[in-house]
Amino acid sequence: MIKINNLVKSYGSLVALDHLNLEIKEGEIFGLLGPNGSGKTTAISCMLALLKYEKGTVEIMGEKMAPDNYKVKQQIGIVLQNVAVFDELTVYENIDYFCGLYVKEKGRRKELVEEAIHFVGLEEYVKIRPKKLSGGLLRRLNIACGIAHKPRLIILDEPTVAVDPQSRNRILEGIQELNRQGSTIIYTSHYMEEVEQICTRIAIMDHGRSIAVGTTEELKSMIKTGETVTIEAAVLEKEQIQAVRNLPHVFDVKYESQVLTVRCTGAKHNLVRILNYLQDENISFGRVFSELPTLNDVFLEITGKELRD
Amino acid sequence: MLHLMKYDVKVKLKNFNEIFWPLIFPLILATFFYISFGKADEADFETVPAAVVVSQEKDDAFLEFLNGVESDDSRLIQIKEMKEKDALKALKDKKVAGIYYAGETPSLTVGGVGIEESILQALLDSYGDAKTTMENIAADHPEGLGAAAAQLENYEELVTQVSLGGKTTDGNAASFYALIAMACLYGCFIGFGSAMTLQANLSALAARRCVTPTHKMKLILSEMVTAFGLHFINVVILILYLRYGLHMEFTGEMPKMLLVSFVGCMIGVSMGLFISSLGRMGEGVKVALILGVSMICSFLAGLMNGNVKDTVDRSFPIINRINPAALIADAFYCINVYDDPARYTRNLVTLVIMSAVLTIGSFLVVRRERYDSI
Repeated sequence: MIKINNLVKSYGSLVALDHLNLEIKEGEIFGLLGPNGSGKTTAISCMLALLKYEKGTVEIMGEKMAPDNYKVKQQIGIVLQNVAVFDELTVYENIDYFCGLYVKEKGRRKELVEEAIHFVGLEEYVKIRPKKLSGGLLRRLNIACGIAHKPRLIILDEPTVAVDPQSRNRILEGIQELNRQGSTIIYTSHYMEEVEQICTRIAIMDHGRSIAVGTTEELKSMIKTGETVTIEAAVLEKEQIQAVRNLPHVFDVKYESQVLTVRCTGAKHNLVRILNYLQDENISFGRVFSELPTLNDVFLEITGKELRD
Repeated sequence: MLHLMKYDVKVKLKNFNEIFWPLIFPLILATFFYISFGKADEADFETVPAAVVVSQEKDDAFLEFLNGVESDDSRLIQIKEMKEKDALKALKDKKVAGIYYAGETPSLTVGGVGIEESILQALLDSYGDAKTTMENIAADHPEGLGAAAAQLENYEELVTQVSLGGKTTDGNAASFYALIAMACLYGCFIGFGSAMTLQANLSALAARRCVTPTHKMKLILSEMVTAFGLHFINVVILILYLRYGLHMEFTGEMPKMLLVSFVGCMIGVSMGLFISSLGRMGEGVKVALILGVSMICSFLAGLMNGNVKDTVDRSFPIINRINPAALIADAFYCINVYDDPARYTRNLVTLVIMSAVLTIGSFLVVRRERYDSI
């Protein structure tokens, strides 16, 4: 569906995209995950031929993407990070306006607009102007304007920023439904939970580069961390910490603010081994957590920094 | 295209900045002008008291002239024959605005500078000019003396021919013409709105429009046609309000005025489009810039004070030759006051060239399809 080869884009001395390579297949929900400033939005803008870039190529649906490639544009729906609707038009008029830029036939357009309104659950607000909508409803309108014409490819750039949990869930469910209906989705976000929840494949971006690509499981299998055990322990001596570090499959131990964090490889019984050691040493401990690796761990291990930073 | 135009019109009609500044504000300002000028003129035309000192070698014709003016319906002056000593005392006590000396060569003494004194001086000048004319005719064409006398008797018509709201004079008309010019230039607010929805690097809304399969040229064309059209309607509403609401007399040809207004609207809209499309300044800065440019142009065209335009014309004529507001106001003056087709044509041609340059310039800026940054 999309092939990006060696894309380079700079803003003055700042390199926003550094030889970016991506391949997105038809039918995927492809996530672009990365912290703010990692180049996600720039990548989207280059894909859509809005931005000039120094080097590289972008192909969509087998064709080179250009500002005048209206055939390809016809099949794309875009939901931008900032809400992009007319404040002067009502909910219905906004959706009708944007749908009308893709669909000329009035009757068909009416059907599509009504479907989109139903899809995002804005039936009660059709005559309301955007300024009177809450943040969540506004985001839903933003989405409806981008998807009303039933595009083959939908690009959603951080569509859940500043949205309440209820609207967020509705939006995420809607995206999965659009995918089930046949649309390929590109979803950018810096919320790893969202990406993990809905994306079938993910590219992790940092400093304008794609540093890892794969399914959630594939990404997690790329790193050493198989399990992270966190234990509240009041007092631990240096020797005891070193002893934990020497346990089998443990490769990283931190003890800060009376919390012991132990990273282990993906072997079995890591938790049991650690707890047995603490009991044998008569070390009192409180709550115990065991977590499987997250995308944040993937990001942390590859870049040395937190995704949320 | 119709779909685009339908919504472009809706958006423009519901946008505060695109309705208030180009339409409502000029209507309000016109009303204020009318009220303030009306009051000033009522004061201006209060009967001016004057003394007449008749010497032995009196000019009977001048006395007749003054009596004629006094008895006229306009009640422009009220004269009282006095001895010179009494007249000077009355002048000092401000009981009269001036003293006419009806000697062989009539003269005027005034106690200050103001509208009343100007009126007395204007009457004296008027008499002097008429007398000279009559003497010349009597010398060269005595057969036409009767007709000339009849013509000159009609002096009042010369004074009141250009009237606005039935009361105002030429200086006030200049302010109203400058107001129409300002309204034309305020189309820049509509141009600003258009730029914000056409340039992907200015707003997310424009970016969304630019990634649709609708040809950019169609988007631009629809924006420009609706912007020019709507703003022209705004200015027509203003002219109709001046004509029928405030009873201004436009003695010139309406089609000529509409043509100037249309070209003025194109300049206003395209100027807003052009300035707003350049650079990445904040919205507030751009609004301040377009407002500043239109206000300065309107001020120099005589919006706040008709004398400003005359001063600029005398001291820096080139400024008003390239100031669109001054050109629009001057074109209106040519149509309604001077009846000077050559000057009107020169103004119109300059305006058309300016509008073409701005329209093409703004078109070239907004037709960009890829940007360095968004």
